[in-house]
Amino acid sequence: MKNKYIFGGGIITIFLAIMVYLFSQSNIQYESNFQNVMSKDKVCKATGSWVKSKNFETDKVHRTFSFYMVDEKGNEMKVVYNGTIPNNFESAKSVVVTGSYKDGYFHARDILTKCPSKYQEDKVKSSSL
Amino acid sequence: MAGSLILTIALACSLFSMVMYYLNFRGYQNTLNYGRIGYHSMAMLVVAAAVFLEYNILTHNYALHYVYSYSSNALSGGKLASTFWAGQEGSFFLWLVLSSLVGVVLQSYCSKRGDLEPRVMAVFSLATTFLLIMVSPLFKNPFAAIWSEPIFLSIKDLNPAFFNLPFMQNFQFTDQQSGQSFIKMNSDLFANLSGAGVSLKEFIVNGKGLNPQLTNFWMQIHPPILFTGFSMATVPFAFAVAALMKNDYREWVKHSFPWVLAGAGILGLGIMMGGYWAYEMLGWGGYWAWDPVENSSLIPWLVGVASIHTLLVQRKSQATGGIGKFAKTNLILCLMTYILVLYSTFLTRSGVLGDASVHSFVDPGMLVYLFLIIFIGTFIVLGFGMVIYRWKYLSEPVPSEEQILSRDLALFTAAIVLSASALIVLVGTSAPLFGHSVDAFFYNQMHIPLAIIIGLLNGLSLLLKWNTTRREDLLKTSVIPIALSLFVTVLIWVVGGVTDIMMLLLAFSAAITLVVNITIAFKIIRGGLQMLGAYIAHIGIALFILGVIGSAGYTKQIDVNLEKNVPNHALGYEIIFTGYTPIENATKYEFNLSLKKGDDNYKISPVMYISEFNNGLMREPAILNLVTKDFYVSPLGYEEDDGSKGNTVTLHKGDSKDYNNVKITFNDFYFPAEVREAMMAGKDFEIIANLTAETNGKKEDFKVSLVSKGGSRTMTSADLKDGNVKVTLLNLQATGSVDLSLSSLDNSAQNLPKKSKEVLTITASVKPFINFVWTGVLVMVLGFGFSVARRLKESFKR
Repeated sequence: MKNKYIFGGGIITIFLAIMVYLFSQSNIQYESNFQNVMSKDKVCKATGSWVKSKNFETDKVHRTFSFYMVDEKGNEMKVVYNGTIPNNFESAKSVVVTGSYKDGYFHARDILTKCPSKYQEDKVKSSSL
Repeated sequence: MAGSLILTIALACSLFSMVMYYLNFRGYQNTLNYGRIGYHSMAMLVVAAAVFLEYNILTHNYALHYVYSYSSNALSGGKLASTFWAGQEGSFFLWLVLSSLVGVVLQSYCSKRGDLEPRVMAVFSLATTFLLIMVSPLFKNPFAAIWSEPIFLSIKDLNPAFFNLPFMQNFQFTDQQSGQSFIKMNSDLFANLSGAGVSLKEFIVNGKGLNPQLTNFWMQIHPPILFTGFSMATVPFAFAVAALMKNDYREWVKHSFPWVLAGAGILGLGIMMGGYWAYEMLGWGGYWAWDPVENSSLIPWLVGVASIHTLLVQRKSQATGGIGKFAKTNLILCLMTYILVLYSTFLTRSGVLGDASVHSFVDPGMLVYLFLIIFIGTFIVLGFGMVIYRWKYLSEPVPSEEQILSRDLALFTAAIVLSASALIVLVGTSAPLFGHSVDAFFYNQMHIPLAIIIGLLNGLSLLLKWNTTRREDLLKTSVIPIALSLFVTVLIWVVGGVTDIMMLLLAFSAAITLVVNITIAFKIIRGGLQMLGAYIAHIGIALFILGVIGSAGYTKQIDVNLEKNVPNHALGYEIIFTGYTPIENATKYEFNLSLKKGDDNYKISPVMYISEFNNGLMREPAILNLVTKDFYVSPLGYEEDDGSKGNTVTLHKGDSKDYNNVKITFNDFYFPAEVREAMMAGKDFEIIANLTAETNGKKEDFKVSLVSKGGSRTMTSADLKDGNVKVTLLNLQATGSVDLSLSSLDNSAQNLPKKSKEVLTITASVKPFINFVWTGVLVMVLGFGFSVARRLKESFKR
């Protein structure tokens, strides 16, 4: 039985150590306050909503896609993504972008859009008041 | 109502069955039959309820909240039928249906093998009881009536004949942003409609529809297979608890073995099918994104596969008497497989991953959240409570001498490595619970060394004998496989151009697995196909790893703009965009590409369309399968540049814009109180924007407007002949601005010959050896099949 514990324990210890190290390396925090996003240049996941009234732009030459996001407190920031418009973006309400804020805009390397029907119902509710 | 009633009776039957089976275990002889009757009644009622829900879906009965929310008249056949599991309620229900059916097979299996049945079925019916509570009217009931909770129905889904009923205006709302009108459906409206003699079926004539990403073949097959895998994960748990109840750890190993194998095979197939769906239809570009929903079904699979390895050791070591080695490990792994299925459900259904997943469900509410915690908690306490209670019996020393070079230890190490992999995915997937998140590279970096160990073990361990092997023997038998694998690796290095040291190590380890397993498989193929299972499964894993190295590590990708009929060169291919053709009644468009490499010509057509469901642009990739690689094309966008240099501007009140030497000024809106009232009431209305155009000092007033008629909106345009400008209204903002599209009149006129330039933008990529990924998984599943057949026979033996 001794061998079992030496083998198992050894492998688990090594992998736990690698995992803790990699976790600390690739750990990304969620941030819903854009003032925090803009003040530091660390990579984070900024959550907010797309400012539909400001529309979005696609730059064919540089292959970038840009739009404006706003957080719950009303802080706005420009987001630039190296790539084209994601599927479903037009109907997205809530957006999560991964990247960091530099030179006056947010450099996104990943965009996640969510368009649950829940939001549509919210919107209707607010306008009926 | 009928559906909820059936499910409620089924819940009572499930509870009854559980109690009767338990009493039988405690020594009451006559309750066994009651337990059986209870279980079978439950299963029949659940199936009846499922048939009833499917009937409501197929007959478009939108009086059910669930049917309204996920289907529509536009769907038919398999696509319509698959809306059964499109939402949370239905997928829980699907899980319940499949669990009930798995239980029927399990009952018959157990009744033929000693005194297993009462213990196993008591635990199993506890699981079905929880699922039945989940779909009861308290939580996620698929039979909830549409008025049971207030919901806004779009007026286009309703029968206009009833709009003039006097009470109707109390329930009408208009969303000012989109101009769409809604009817608020609640119990009041239902009471009013009933009073007027109008049935819900007459009133609601269409449903919201299904997300276009789910409207395809894979939706019809992937969820049922995945949930069959989930349902089968309950079985090892039930066997483990049953063993603990009886305090007998010999028999349960052979009894649960076929179930563990079959469950892992089916769950593995289901998971990879999801990957293929993402690759082939959804255009993720790959088959695995480490998305929480994918991960959470992978975790129990890894643990289940780990348990297979240690169960094998326990079974072999029982030959010398006693309960065998790794009894505790096996019990814990079998318990964990199901607990992790429940945890995965909790992660993806409770809303805790809200921001982290592409397809996690929306927050289902506090009650469901708490219920899920109670569900998991019950099974954790039951399983681990029993293990602790029986600890001293489980710690019974096993008479055996152990050597480093034994197959037992290699199998144990395999289980450890698989569990480590499960732990990594678990930590990464659970990170959002604590406000953190990890990148895909966390998973990838962690798994490369793990996969190398798995590969080496997988090959070399088979050269080891049970218990002990002499060092010299191992050296002798391993020379040829190692030499062959080295040769393959050098080939991959030189011919394939792979230079990354980790990738080469991985390729080497996969090659060893492949060589050793194929050699052994050939040796024993004469001895009968039944013994082949493990070797076939391992060949599958090796192929899979080679496929992953090629497709994940060495994919080349490039974005290309394709002007119509102008050849482009990318990734060694000549690509020509030859135009588009409408398909499926012009609801979708195929963009035809012809590819040329050397003398070979190919044609592929990615698809794009605007979905009515969410007004979004949907894209479907096209794949050219070339055996050793895939040429993968994702469409990005399509533009027709008509040369008129159309221009979009936003003007606030009083703002001006020059275009083609014409100065256009936005003055104000015409939006009096009566128009406002008409708009609020959902009646027809027109909002006018007053503008002025100044051409060479000559002023001219004109107007564009938003016209709403019968719920549909149109924007008008104005032609300014003097200035050669066409002004089209795009949008009105409540804050007091207009969005206009400006274009020159002569170019936008229909009768002029088109000088258009059509440009399709695509992402093209070459994915080498991706077919190995799919074949690998299929071969692995085949291996599981062989093993199930063998172990099923053994499970009868005394």
